[in-house]
Amino acid sequence: MVVITCLSNVATQVGIGRIMGGNKFHYPVGQPELPPAEELRWRVNLLEKGLTALETPVKEPKVF
Amino acid sequence: MKVLHSLNQFFAGIGGEEKAGQEVLFIPGAVGAGTIVQNALKDRGVEYATLVWGDNYFHEQEEKSFNAIRAALEKFQPDFFLAGPAFNAGRYGLACAKVCSWVRDNWRVPAITAMHEDNPGTKEIGRHVFVIQTGASAASMQESLKRFSLLIELLLGGNQTAIENFRSEHCLPISRRFTVRSQAPDYVRATDLLLAKLQGQSYESEIPRIEATAHPIPNLTGRLKDATVALVTEGGLVPKGNPDRLESSRGSRYFKYSIDGREDLKRGEFEAMHTGYDTSTVNQDPDRIVPLDAMRVLEKSQRFRKLHDHYFVTTGTGAMPSKMEEIGAGIADELASSGISAVILTAT
Repeated sequence: MVVITCLSNVATQVGIGRIMGGNKFHYPVGQPELPPAEELRWRVNLLEKGLTALETPVKEPKVF
Repeated sequence: MKVLHSLNQFFAGIGGEEKAGQEVLFIPGAVGAGTIVQNALKDRGVEYATLVWGDNYFHEQEEKSFNAIRAALEKFQPDFFLAGPAFNAGRYGLACAKVCSWVRDNWRVPAITAMHEDNPGTKEIGRHVFVIQTGASAASMQESLKRFSLLIELLLGGNQTAIENFRSEHCLPISRRFTVRSQAPDYVRATDLLLAKLQGQSYESEIPRIEATAHPIPNLTGRLKDATVALVTEGGLVPKGNPDRLESSRGSRYFKYSIDGREDLKRGEFEAMHTGYDTSTVNQDPDRIVPLDAMRVLEKSQRFRKLHDHYFVTTGTGAMPSKMEEIGAGIADELASSGISAVILTAT
């Protein structure tokens, strides 16, 4: 599991293994300033990083 | 110094199950398990008295029991109130918890009980009651009683650090929130706590600190190319109209909603139920909390085998960690039994 959140310190404290910084607290996987097509591209990149995190073995909380 | 010690019929040495109907009895002096505590405190010039009740009587006649206990407190005026140890005895543990909580709230004297962590009494413990951890059976009697007298000594000594050390080493953490009325409005109270903390003084929050239990961190087994990936969120995203009435805070449930055949989550078809964040940006485009559109792109590029055809959702605000743990375990069970090997969880 990978958790995408802006509160990576909280996620670390509770012992989540894979943590990724989201964009904003109230829209972790959004970028509303961008035009829709670019926002989608941005989101695909973010999720691609998330998938890489999933493939990475971890033993303790790690912020990607 | 006066100590009033409550025991059930068995530990007072009155009798077994046949005496479970024994009404509340005030006995001047120590009996049964109490004699050991009294002995340990004899240098303190302790005056000891005992309350005894039958395991059934207390629960069948709770009001009468409390009246009798109140009368004993008025008569004896104890400085410390003890109950137990109850080990894993359910009726006894519940009674100890209820009585200690009531005494602490109404008489403002230290209330100390002792029980095993699985005793149902732990669910009834009120604020500020010391609950010494015991083994499951009376085999740990001597040790537990020693801790009663040790804690009384520490409380008499008034060294806060020593008391806190005792609490963390020997007492059960009671991870619940209690409704309390403070002397000052919340903002004054919060500032007072902050100042005390900054000045290194002792303080006690109304909200017990809840330590997260450690869980093993699973790694992906096999290749991501062969994996089914699921989306989970605590962001409260539900179909428009919230058909299942997901709570917008203090969530107690989770739901799963189909994304089969959908390429993205369209505005107006889904909305977020969550009082913990401004949901307007997510409502404009729900993919900003459940990134379905991006996951479809990556699915098509065969980065992973398949996106699971449901996403899971709960509301992660204002809720009890214990409830959230239950919800998490429920979602994890469903995921594991659906052949899912990886999860992306978005959190606000």
